[in-house]
Amino acid sequence: MIIEIWTKKKYSANEETAFLGRLGRAGLKAGAARLSRLYRVDSALGRAEVEKLASGLLADPITENYSLVPGKTGFGGGWRVEVWLKDSVTDVVGESVKEAITGVLGKDPGAVRFGHAYYVACDSAVKLKHAVSKTLVNEIVNKFGIEKI
Amino acid sequence: MKKPKAMILRGTATNCDIETFNSFKYVGAAPELVHINQLLAGERRVLDYDIMAFPGGFSYGDDISAGKIYAVKMRALAADFEAFVRDKRPVIGICNGFQILVKTGLLPENKANAQVSTLYTNDCGHFLAKWVKVKINKKSPCIFTKGLPDEIDLPIAHGEGKFIVEDAKVMRSLIKRDLHAMTYSDNPNGSMLDIAGITNPAGTCFGLMPHPERNFFAWQNPDRPAAAREALAAGCQFFRNAVEYAV
Amino acid sequence: MSPTLLNFTGLGEKELAELDAACGWSLNIPELKEVQRYFKKAGRQPARGELETIAQTWSEHCKHKTFSGPVSFLNGKKTRKYRNLFKETIVKATRTLNKKWCLSVFTDNAGIVEFGSGGKWGLAFKAETHNHPCAVEPYGGAETGVGGVIRDILGVGLGAKPVLNTDNFCFGRLDDKRELPRNSHPPERIMRGVVEGVRDYGNRIGIPTASGGIYFDDGYLLNPLVYVGCAGLIPTDKIEKKVHPGDRIVSIGGRTGRDGIHGATFSSANIDEETSASAVQIGHAVNEKKALDALMRARDQGLYNAVTDCGAGGFSSAIGELGSKTGARVRLERALLKDTRIEPWEIWVSESQERMILSVPKAKLKRLEAVLKSESCEYCVLGEFPGDGRLVVTHGKEKVVDLPMSFLHGGVPNFEKPAVRRKVRISSGPPAAHAGYGLILKELLAHPNVCSRHSVITQYDHEVQGGTAIKPLQGRYGDGPGDATVICPRAATLDQDDYAGFAVTHGFGPGVGKIDPYQMALHSVDEAVRNLLCVGAEVSRTAILDNFCAASPRDPEVMGDLVLAAEGCHDAAMAYGAPFISGKDSFYNQAKDADGREYPIPISLLISATAPVPDVRKALTMNFKEPGNALYLAGLSRRGMGGSVYNDMSFSGNNLVSPLDMKAAVKLYAALLKAMRAGCVAAAHDVSQGGLGVTLAEMAFAGGFGARLDLAGAAAEKGLTRLELLFGESPARLVLEVIKEKETEFLRLVKGLPVTEIGYVSEDPVLDAAFGPERLFCEDINALKDRWKRELL
Repeated sequence: MIIEIWTKKKYSANEETAFLGRLGRAGLKAGAARLSRLYRVDSALGRAEVEKLASGLLADPITENYSLVPGKTGFGGGWRVEVWLKDSVTDVVGESVKEAITGVLGKDPGAVRFGHAYYVACDSAVKLKHAVSKTLVNEIVNKFGIEKI
Repeated sequence: MKKPKAMILRGTATNCDIETFNSFKYVGAAPELVHINQLLAGERRVLDYDIMAFPGGFSYGDDISAGKIYAVKMRALAADFEAFVRDKRPVIGICNGFQILVKTGLLPENKANAQVSTLYTNDCGHFLAKWVKVKINKKSPCIFTKGLPDEIDLPIAHGEGKFIVEDAKVMRSLIKRDLHAMTYSDNPNGSMLDIAGITNPAGTCFGLMPHPERNFFAWQNPDRPAAAREALAAGCQFFRNAVEYAV
Repeated sequence: MSPTLLNFTGLGEKELAELDAACGWSLNIPELKEVQRYFKKAGRQPARGELETIAQTWSEHCKHKTFSGPVSFLNGKKTRKYRNLFKETIVKATRTLNKKWCLSVFTDNAGIVEFGSGGKWGLAFKAETHNHPCAVEPYGGAETGVGGVIRDILGVGLGAKPVLNTDNFCFGRLDDKRELPRNSHPPERIMRGVVEGVRDYGNRIGIPTASGGIYFDDGYLLNPLVYVGCAGLIPTDKIEKKVHPGDRIVSIGGRTGRDGIHGATFSSANIDEETSASAVQIGHAVNEKKALDALMRARDQGLYNAVTDCGAGGFSSAIGELGSKTGARVRLERALLKDTRIEPWEIWVSESQERMILSVPKAKLKRLEAVLKSESCEYCVLGEFPGDGRLVVTHGKEKVVDLPMSFLHGGVPNFEKPAVRRKVRISSGPPAAHAGYGLILKELLAHPNVCSRHSVITQYDHEVQGGTAIKPLQGRYGDGPGDATVICPRAATLDQDDYAGFAVTHGFGPGVGKIDPYQMALHSVDEAVRNLLCVGAEVSRTAILDNFCAASPRDPEVMGDLVLAAEGCHDAAMAYGAPFISGKDSFYNQAKDADGREYPIPISLLISATAPVPDVRKALTMNFKEPGNALYLAGLSRRGMGGSVYNDMSFSGNNLVSPLDMKAAVKLYAALLKAMRAGCVAAAHDVSQGGLGVTLAEMAFAGGFGARLDLAGAAAEKGLTRLELLFGESPARLVLEVIKEKETEFLRLVKGLPVTEIGYVSEDPVLDAAFGPERLFCEDINALKDRWKRELL
């Protein structure tokens, strides 16, 4: 199960501007963007438990929204880039979150992986892919996918 | 006179525990480093102390968000912490400690598990360590800032220091009661209303992003006029006030 | 077991080479044959784990075969032979100087010198490089580099408490537009990743990153250099460590996984496209902090007899090193694993980060476990040190290694490497200026090797622990570039009545090294000592570290550079009375460019230096303090623009490197330190990159004051041009602001030395420089600052 967390619109201008700047330096002019964090929990937790994790641990109640279904950030017309560490690379944030989840639920949630999703409005998936590999990911340690939304 | 017992509460990667310990010791407290594991195991009890300090650092790596995992760990002891604050025993949270107090809800209204404000990623998007000037709100009930001049130098060192209150009514109420004990003269992180530190209505529980323990002695200041090097600096007063209040 | 291994002793040279390549050992043929010889004699075939252990132990990274090996150096017509280059240069200087304040040199994970008065504390200092991992994955490479050098400090003696991190980087020029080979990252991306890695690891673990530098040069385009250092405090009665037979082997900190298989051999080989994912890792600062906190508590309670870090080679190196006298019995099935899909030999050589190995008396194991649990620090008991001198490693019933320590640590064959002096043409005619001096000054201030580093420095928590007395950014606005950092390590000593501190700084000059590696070493040591002097440190007690980075040692010219620089290190250490206490080297810093040509780095020697500051309250900063105070230039300005930033910007036609007069420098510095101690000096700043003009500009805008200057009186070599005086980088010079009321005393203390008045600090914010009747430039200090204060990131 993947929990997706993103900054509410009224607080997200800075991170989006910085992100667009980063893509710009990698040669991609994009119109709009949104960023979110992803937590993949590998065990079969109940919906109530996941809800509890999302609201009580993983998302900031003041500044962030969350969804238990990926891609529901409300960003329309563009691409969604999902980035993870390769399975062979130790995910230290994932390890730390796993420990915290164990504390909250009182049971081991199995493996936890931490990733990012980037939503980008631009015309070319080819150019986007190029910019992503130049600035967002290092293909030696990361894996990523791009989908149209 | 009996020295007030100050609990310097630490956990994994609470990095500023020793200098906070040293600061309390210097002004006459009897500080003790206590790991949250010791509280959770019942080896130490919150209510056995006179002062409580949440030092700066990167508790649990600040993974998820700054202070979050630590705040969640504290939930099991929420009643004790609330009782400590209700009892008007001094509590100070510095930097990561402030983030923890806000994320538990102990600040500003002493409601553990009811967060009304947050400290979010700096506008610049990353960690920032520099010296800033902060203004002291003289009308604030805060006991830690008593006797300080109108404006002082303190260093900041944080990635998530942007103070946000979502509900405008809550914010108005904070300001009306002068709970914003300290504001930035030149806002380094985008905090609402330039807020750098917040107190509870009693003035006894206080959190701030800048590091008073790093401007405790004049030799810690980057601008070193030869004459002033021997002296104590503004940051010392925060700790002295806590000790004086506690005895 | 693979069929090749079953017939290992019967393999021919070609098959051996193929096997080596397939396994990624980086052993050469004579080494492989030596291994064959051993197993033939033993009358059996090796296990994979044994060959892996030998490859790790004999790697360049662990054994330093090049630097510690024999060299034949052809210098013009003369040949000089070295049996062990390192011992006959750097170590020799330390042995000859034989300073009693050196408590531990070259034997442990870091060097240790006395700290403070009273003999209670030692200061451990170490610097490392993590170049290859940073080229491949800058963020993870930098993180694990920082984590690694911190573990060196945790693993010195019975463990020192880290109180300072240092970082020095070399990148390609950010404006370089050349096409890069596949899998290479552009310099901007490498810099960003490296800075973020150092930031995230250092900040999370709570050690101030407060001293360092960034150097840009074409030569580092494909091979960035990332030097990371750490200093820590250790009680003098915790420096001795000794494994006792019967002690348990305890691993604490991180778990073991498949990551970092072959790090040691990887860092000894050229980077190519086949570099595998397992060679790079992301750091886990929080795990290391748990180990740090637990270790310090266990140390103070005396719960173990020895400790060392798991670095390159993982368990195999760490346990092998600790058990080199006693032998070791290891049961790998007891290791805590990240992942169960791992071969036993992989557990043995895995370089998973954040692990330390302790040698624990059986009777203290329970107490140690209690400390570890209270800090949430994971651990496992892997076996014991038996005392029979054999290394026996098993996994359940499987035998992974069974070798005598004597072969592992003494068996590596070594061969003489040829070295030759590189030919460089020197033009020593008078240099030409390309523009007016004011314009040149502005351009120099904006040069990437001179401009402000604030956008990097402010991302590091350089004040955590509360002891950073002299900061990397200082002055009236907290943004002036300091010469050295001063730490008052009360977070380690807990003594709030003690104002003792230590200063740390660096010297680095590959620009000079391209012309004259010998002078580069002298200049770098001088720059470091001078920087220490600028903050008022006790320079007669300077201790230094050498970190060499070079291209392939198979190139005789690269070896020639190394020999000359090492000789320079020896001579400088002797002249300054500054022993080397620890050092490290990194070779094969070269890669193929997009056209398939070899692209080597220039010889790069980082000198890290430390000296005591008896009272941190009296330490000096570099900014102008008060209008009316006199300004003095100390040191003789000499001819030559070689290696200067000016020449990099626009070649002056002169590439002469000013030779350093070390005897004169030592005499000068001793007198200046006396003047500082007498309270005569308000500010001091060294003349280095960009020359005197840049030094004065930085002092001015960091203090918010201008200066009226007449440089005609400056002590100068005959024939010195204005350009050389203003922007030349001849060594052993600094600018001092002298307190008005103390000027007579100052002059008495520097009598007979090349110290001359060049002007005074003025209220109006203008830097106004003349040479007798000739006006050189007149610039507004805020305009100069604007040019200098660039955002590098």
